[in-house]
Amino acid sequence: MMGIYIFIFFAYLFGPLIIMSITAFNSAEFPSITPWECFSFRWFNEGKIAYDGQHLAGLLSDWRLHDGIISSLIIGAGVVTLSVPIGMAAAIVLTQVRSQLRDIYYSISIMPVLFPGVIIGISTVVLWDRIAGLGGEGFISDIGRNGIFLTILAQTCFISTYCFLIFVARLQRFDQTQEEAALDLGASQTQVFFKILVPYLSPAIASAAVIAFLFSFENYNTTVFSILSDQTLTTVIASKVRLGISPALSALALTIIALTIIAAVTYEVLRRRAEKRYAESQEKFVKEKAADNRINKKYKAGFKIPKGITAILLIVVFATYGATQIVKNDLYGQSCIDAADKEKKSKFLEQLQTLESNELTDEELSGGSLGGNQDYGDIFGDPSLFQDFGGFD
Amino acid sequence: MSADVELSDVSVTFGSFYAAKNVNVKVNGGEFFSFLGPSGCGKTTLLRAISGFQEPSEGKVLIDNKDMSGIGPNKRPTALIFQNLALFPLMSVSENIAFSLEVRGVSKEERKKRADELLELIALEGQGEKKVHQLSGGQKQRVAIARALAVEPKVLLLDEPLSALDLKLRQRMRTELREIQKRVNITFIYITHDQGEALTMSDRIAVMNEGELEQIGKCDEVYNNPLTPFVATFVGENNPLYGKVTGIEGDKAQIETADGQYLAMMNDSKKLNIGDESIAFVRPESLFIPRDGDSFDNKIDVNIESFEFEGNLKNFYARLQSGAKIKFSVPNAIDTSSISSGSSIALGFDSSKSVILPKASLAID
Amino acid sequence: MKNFLFTQPFFKKNGKAVAIYFLVAIIFWFVFLVIIPQFYMLDLSFRTNVPPLARGGPEDYYTFEHYSHFIFGSKTATDAFNFVDLGVFGRTIFVSMLVTIANLLFCYPIAFYIAKIANPSTARLLIVSLIIPFWINELLRSFALRILFANEGVINNFLTGIGILDQGILFITYDIGLYTGLIYAYILLMMFPLYNAIESLDINQIEAAKDLGSSSFRTHWRIVIPHAKPGIVSGCTMVFMLTVGALATPVVLSSPNTLWFPQLIYQWFNMNDNWSRGSAYSIILLIVSVIFVLTMMRIFKVRIGEIIK
Repeated sequence: MMGIYIFIFFAYLFGPLIIMSITAFNSAEFPSITPWECFSFRWFNEGKIAYDGQHLAGLLSDWRLHDGIISSLIIGAGVVTLSVPIGMAAAIVLTQVRSQLRDIYYSISIMPVLFPGVIIGISTVVLWDRIAGLGGEGFISDIGRNGIFLTILAQTCFISTYCFLIFVARLQRFDQTQEEAALDLGASQTQVFFKILVPYLSPAIASAAVIAFLFSFENYNTTVFSILSDQTLTTVIASKVRLGISPALSALALTIIALTIIAAVTYEVLRRRAEKRYAESQEKFVKEKAADNRINKKYKAGFKIPKGITAILLIVVFATYGATQIVKNDLYGQSCIDAADKEKKSKFLEQLQTLESNELTDEELSGGSLGGNQDYGDIFGDPSLFQDFGGFD
Repeated sequence: MSADVELSDVSVTFGSFYAAKNVNVKVNGGEFFSFLGPSGCGKTTLLRAISGFQEPSEGKVLIDNKDMSGIGPNKRPTALIFQNLALFPLMSVSENIAFSLEVRGVSKEERKKRADELLELIALEGQGEKKVHQLSGGQKQRVAIARALAVEPKVLLLDEPLSALDLKLRQRMRTELREIQKRVNITFIYITHDQGEALTMSDRIAVMNEGELEQIGKCDEVYNNPLTPFVATFVGENNPLYGKVTGIEGDKAQIETADGQYLAMMNDSKKLNIGDESIAFVRPESLFIPRDGDSFDNKIDVNIESFEFEGNLKNFYARLQSGAKIKFSVPNAIDTSSISSGSSIALGFDSSKSVILPKASLAID
Repeated sequence: MKNFLFTQPFFKKNGKAVAIYFLVAIIFWFVFLVIIPQFYMLDLSFRTNVPPLARGGPEDYYTFEHYSHFIFGSKTATDAFNFVDLGVFGRTIFVSMLVTIANLLFCYPIAFYIAKIANPSTARLLIVSLIIPFWINELLRSFALRILFANEGVINNFLTGIGILDQGILFITYDIGLYTGLIYAYILLMMFPLYNAIESLDINQIEAAKDLGSSSFRTHWRIVIPHAKPGIVSGCTMVFMLTVGALATPVVLSSPNTLWFPQLIYQWFNMNDNWSRGSAYSIILLIVSVIFVLTMMRIFKVRIGEIIK
């Protein structure tokens, strides 16, 4: 009973992602599984020229995406450099604030994550627009209207809180007598900070930096306001999705998923290795101390095949089966794609003729299923985008 | 090398609470001095006042006759060994020991040399590269001492550093600490709630209760000649016999209790008058089962309730006629097989081994 | 001042250089990033919408027009109230509450299973599996659902393909996609507070309750849920706040005919270039959020520190 529920729950979590990943390999213009056209990597590469002559960019050929990624990286770096020191300072000062004030101080510190993201974006933009207006023509006016600069400030506003919380958690386990011991041994207050506190906090600094970067990289709600006329990865994705869903996005998502999994696995492996090393040093110590057989026995754990292996084997079996099916039915390669395109082109010509004879149908076709929100369908960027990513059906 | 430490009328208050009240002590240079008292008696507060973590609310701390007010812990000629040792877990043993040199900007070679010297002093040669968590409890203890000694302090302050160790190790560390103190010849100020520790290691001890000093003196002095009922019962075990003073002869006083009259020594400083409510104390080992030829001037009838075997001693728990409990110990060398639970016997003790003090509260221990 | 704010003299405790770094960082954050922008936005929401050059001129004065527009609509409108905007607002709040409740119901069994029933290695695996989908951009997750729910999407193609349906279901038009997406978007933020809260419950208490003859439902109602209360409140608050303020998921999944409240703000702000009105609507959203948090704190008697950890 519970098992079924867990299965459904995780199917809900992973199902959409898996299906999306599969659609990245379908050569059809619309991300789908059925009908399956051809197995292809085109959406990871150059994309395709559609049968009506429009260019559908793939991951490699999409300069807009590349620009977005670059600004996202710049913003991420900026946010990390600001929010980690801010979060650390705020967390350390929390330990020094009088207990009567601690609640108020804490509340102010966590307020930004309770604000809706859009509000942080808007408030930053309106303020800096005003500052830029006051500043005349010079430097201030320039940076006040610089989307990247504003986005760094706006994101730092709430990402600092996440950093703050990470540092607070680590500081709660800090043994304050360490500071006293260092002072007693003649260290100055500044030396205590750099030689005792900062080394102690360094794991938190690392995780705060990672978290800050990831939150910054994938933020949309705040960024969409503060970025002004620039584009980040997320705003590019949003505009693409609004204008019609393309398998190139599936390919992008799959790339991100793969990177995530690799990072997660690496992290897990490193963590286990560190744990093992620590356990070994402890074990060695225990062995040195006690030649007692009982203790030695306890540390001789048997070798077990990890359960994960079964899962990997299952995946391999399925993948092999899928691949053989694809090869058997000649669903891979250029010949398949060419055949499919040819067929569609002829169909498209037919459709075009019908369209010309009936304008009403034309409207229905362009809205509907994937054109998206007609109310303000063009808000996400310039019209030229539309040419690269037409809504296809 | 060593320095005198003087606390002059030191009080430390937290709000309206007195953690220490009008404390006056002079610790001599090179002395091993202990503050002994139950937890919460203010001894740690005093230690923090000496090391500079806590400014006294009133009074002064003088080290080498210099007033220490306004001087931070990093500027005082003291080093503190914390109860939890506070070794730096991210540094190696050598780095821990040489930390005080590092913050003073001493060169790396110099630091290494000094660290090696100190490692030798604490018998941990060649273990400097280890991480702190790879050491045993006793080794950590010694590293903490070496780290403190690296500052070349004039006074070493120790805040119950042995409390986390098991019994055997604790006993060994007592001897070791004493030896280290003799070798480096600096003032040790030791804080403990364990009277055994204080008595075995110290030259002098100060007994504290509720922020106030009860008694300062050499160990045997405090043990044999307690000035207050608190000291009498906190340092070692003692049987109280409550009553009224009925007569005074020289330095001895007669006390009338519900179970009879006893004679006990009076302290010089606390004069008693006839009719005063008072307590006579007699230690378990001063009570004995009289044999022919023993001389004693007090006799006490008891009814044995139970006994326990402690190795070198056998402890008996008995009651007087009034119902008051009393404990006495007999060396294992003496045959006590005839004494069983429920039997009534007479015990004796000599007035010179008993102390009479004005009535006051005892240590609840 | 130093001793009024801090337990120890601030500069003496930290050393001058570090103390200055602390103060600069904290003031920069609190004052320049948090407080001033919000107050400026509040100020702007009470001003007329004028082009930058006319600022400070006679056209630039304080007014309630943006707030009254939200309630009563434009001056020329015939309706007594601004049913469109109020409708969007009401629907956003209402659906967010339903999403929050749905998340709580979906997550509770899983959180309980991971915290108290699964063995440690399974629990670890499940936790990692829970986290992985949430490292993927909210937009892309919504996009994945869009692939499923589009009119010619995977589900419809499948259903019509095997002949169950003649025509696809309009998931997007009826906002089924949006609701599914909103539940999907922040489910992790319900899961973790719940898990942490249940995890800290002593298993003996559950066993003791069973031993005393309590039914499994009753055990949850009387033992587990009261213990997990701070986690439940925390999860509900976070999910509600994020759902009400969501923009990415509605952008991808909402039907062409309906708006989510942040989309309305976006419209005023970017499309109609009416920053004052956009600010006013933002303030309304902010007030709702704050009221919600305060209500949760009051009803369930938890402190703000317990909500966000």
